[in-house]
Amino acid sequence: MIKNYIRTAWRNLVNQKFYSAINIIGLTIGLAVGMLILLWVQDEFSFDRFNAKASQIYKVNASIGSGVSKQVWGNAPAPVATFALKEVPGVVNAVRVITNMDYSVFAYKDKLLKEDYGKLSLIDNAFFKIFDYKLLKGDENNPFPNDQSVIITESTAKRYFGNADPMGKTITGDNKDPFVVSGVLADFPANSSINADMLFSVNLRKKQYVNNPYWKSMDDDWGNYYTQTFLQVRPDASVKAIGEKLTQIHFKHQQGIKPTDGIFILQPLTQTHLYNADGSSAGIQVVKVFSIVAVLILLIACINYVNLSTARSMLRAKEVSVRKIIGAERKHLFTQFILETVLCFLIALILAFTLIFAIMPLYNSIAGKQMHFDLFDTRVWQVVAITVLTTLVASSIYPALLLSSFKPINALKGKISGTGNGTFRKVLVVSQFAFSIGLIIGTIIINKQLNYIQQKQLGYDRAYVFGLQMHGMESHYEAIKADLLSRPEIKGVTTSDGSIVSSGSTTSDTDWDGKDSKMSFLIHPYDIDKDFITVFKIKLLSGSNFTASKSDSAHWILNETAVRLAGIKNPIGKRFKFHDTNGTIIGVVKDFHFASLKQAIEPAIFSYRTSTWQMFVKTTGKDAPAAIKTVQRFWQQYNANFPYEYKFLDDDFNELYRSEQHTATLFNVFAGIAIFISCLGLFGLATYTAQVRIKEIGIRKVLGASVANITTMLSKDFLVLVVVAIVIASPVAWYAMNKWLQDYAYRTELHWWILAIAGSAAILIAFITVSFQAIKAALANPVKSLRSE
Amino acid sequence: MIKITNLEKFYRTEEVETIALNKLSIEIATGEFVAIMGPSGCGKSTLLNILGMLDDPDAGSYVFNDIEVAHFTERKRADLRKHNIGFVFQSFNLIDELTVFENVELPLIYTGVAASERVKRVEEVLDKMQIMHRRNHYPQQLSGGQQQRVAIARAVVNKPKLILADEPTGNLDSSNGNDVMELLTDLNEQGTTIIMVTHSEHDARYSHRIIRLLDGQSVMENIMV
Repeated sequence: MIKNYIRTAWRNLVNQKFYSAINIIGLTIGLAVGMLILLWVQDEFSFDRFNAKASQIYKVNASIGSGVSKQVWGNAPAPVATFALKEVPGVVNAVRVITNMDYSVFAYKDKLLKEDYGKLSLIDNAFFKIFDYKLLKGDENNPFPNDQSVIITESTAKRYFGNADPMGKTITGDNKDPFVVSGVLADFPANSSINADMLFSVNLRKKQYVNNPYWKSMDDDWGNYYTQTFLQVRPDASVKAIGEKLTQIHFKHQQGIKPTDGIFILQPLTQTHLYNADGSSAGIQVVKVFSIVAVLILLIACINYVNLSTARSMLRAKEVSVRKIIGAERKHLFTQFILETVLCFLIALILAFTLIFAIMPLYNSIAGKQMHFDLFDTRVWQVVAITVLTTLVASSIYPALLLSSFKPINALKGKISGTGNGTFRKVLVVSQFAFSIGLIIGTIIINKQLNYIQQKQLGYDRAYVFGLQMHGMESHYEAIKADLLSRPEIKGVTTSDGSIVSSGSTTSDTDWDGKDSKMSFLIHPYDIDKDFITVFKIKLLSGSNFTASKSDSAHWILNETAVRLAGIKNPIGKRFKFHDTNGTIIGVVKDFHFASLKQAIEPAIFSYRTSTWQMFVKTTGKDAPAAIKTVQRFWQQYNANFPYEYKFLDDDFNELYRSEQHTATLFNVFAGIAIFISCLGLFGLATYTAQVRIKEIGIRKVLGASVANITTMLSKDFLVLVVVAIVIASPVAWYAMNKWLQDYAYRTELHWWILAIAGSAAILIAFITVSFQAIKAALANPVKSLRSE
Repeated sequence: MIKITNLEKFYRTEEVETIALNKLSIEIATGEFVAIMGPSGCGKSTLLNILGMLDDPDAGSYVFNDIEVAHFTERKRADLRKHNIGFVFQSFNLIDELTVFENVELPLIYTGVAASERVKRVEEVLDKMQIMHRRNHYPQQLSGGQQQRVAIARAVVNKPKLILADEPTGNLDSSNGNDVMELLTDLNEQGTTIIMVTHSEHDARYSHRIIRLLDGQSVMENIMV
């Protein structure tokens, strides 16, 4: 019996090439895109879960301040790990991961390689006990035989030593410190939040506390939040209690601090990828949005299938009747039609697999990931199974129920009621277009916001400015700067210890007359020279700039927000204490954006330094290559043993919004696909309608209807549905996108014309799709259609 | 075999109620060959549909093989139908996507006959209908006469006790029409009861008895000699 069903299904598919093609193309694209999105979602949720103890591992975050100046940091002071292990019940193990900023290049024999910032980490030995990162060579129990040991990843080993055994070989950091390779680590998985190329012993950092006048040892340093601290806790331990206990320990050990100065909160390891330290979205929102998009695209594809198969059910009515008359029961027919859908899905699935394999590299580059579509991977099959089974059920049941329900004698006479499922089909078309229009509106708004970010006046000018680390040039900065400024290709030179594009650090170590003792005030510090404000064209609102005079060492320039939040009236000349220097405010600059536009502008303070560790050079578009070469000559003179590296601030800026750019690109693609699949279905329905109404069209033409009359008649019904979809989708999309924009402290405005554009686009596309068939039907010779009746 | 008493069937639209069968009573014995005649709209097809259990009456009784079936559920009727009744239509009603062999095989599939047995029985009946050489053709590749022979083959493959034929020669030329009537006569002689709706006096002459309907009522019965 099954054989007979499959045979019929196959012949139906082949006989109706046009509709089969529409169904299969729609399903193929829908399934492929749906699976691609869900693979991405799955990858996002898989972060750090490869650790067997993942559910017991927490990261210690610090919540500082309260009210508007509240911040939650992902780092904790170094003693937290030590005391957690010693004094906090429920803590099984603790490990610190600290960025090693002391080195940037390593040498092996004549090979000199630059290491990425942030990819060198200092770790506690417990690292290998808590996490499941695999040590391929070396001893887990004694990973660093001495403080000059280093563990490198497999690919790092390849870079330095090729295929030779790295164990015991010596590499030299920044041309001075030798390190002996004591272990080789499998590369960190792509879905690991922790990632490094080299691991060093935390003892390197401990040694730097010797001769420190302020903090006696690393375990005394409660004031610097620079370690990522991970705790493994007992499964039954109270996470909240552990956080509170850590906070108490902090109060006990650091004199003069108050609750607003910081409490510790534990964040599950498995959430660190998708959530920021303060619990806000670090990707979970995009994951949610894309999951919804995947479901919408799959729904659109299902709707196509359901619509076309139910619309065409009239054509199957005779077959159904005959089968019933000669003995088929409803369950037989139900099974038969389900099997037909299954066959259609199988073909679509095979095509979808091919499509996925073909576009995976492109998709990875758009999504910024390294996903593999491996059919031997059970995780891939989870996605495939979920996608295919749900869409299959959604698309097969209704048509099968409908077709198998025909009363044989009515169906044979062509008297099946079309009205009931006609309404149902209309509802489906409306939903389909509502989804598509929603996605179009979303796309327009996302792109508009990204444009807004690109074009927003940030309050400073970063055009044609590149930055570089100075290394050996730092002590010769004044001379180099004077030389550079004498050249026509260089328009300005300045120095600063922070990035104007995104400032990382804040401090609360400030005081001024009238400061509320309970107030917590966090400020972003910048050490700059006298030209910083002019080179970046930051507007000085009142007071004066630094002049490089001796007294500048106790002069501060604040931004508007700092003055406003501190509540200082007429700030120029007022006392302001910053760290341990009591000084005077000499200037106030207009607010500028030194962070992502997602954040509101925070207080900033400039202090004067003759030079810092990095230099910024301003040039022009035309002169940029010459300027880069000029700076390189100085680099070679002072930093012969370091590779020359520079970066334009525009690139730094774009990196701030890279995930948004990815999101926008993907959203554009998805919206396009959604509308394409919807139109495919509409095209099929229009073709079918023209076929069914061929006699009516013939009669109308004989009675004198023009081609335009008939085209309008056939298109109108569909366009009404699209209009209804616009009416439904617009408010929903509007609301949803408004919510999305709330993530940005600075955002583009929503205008009514966005809806108008999305609506007109949908109508235009639908009209082109439908009118093609309508015109074809209208042009046909009426004699032919009437005779065929 | 069949006894209907005071059978009534109405068709209603919003404004009009049409009476298709008006307290119709007929009795048909096993082995009979009965022709039903009458002008368009007299209720012939309605009667045939009710006899074939494709439709149910609004009132009255229908006893089939001593079982009252007038108020059977669709499922029960379908079950009774597939084991007892074969249908032949004016427009053949073959399934276009299936070959001659597969079309004839279909009723056996639905009654759960084993595959080897099916092949045997289909071949037997195709042979009898002299259509064996076309077994792998599709309906569109056959002439009208050939298609109707396939349809008859399909109607009899399950060895039904009753064949209902709705103008079986209506779409055929006279030579093919006569062939079909001969086939039906043969089947009847082998014991199958046949009820045939027809407009053709010529075809009706093959039957034992003609029941003439008008406005849903039996107005005359002719016994053929």
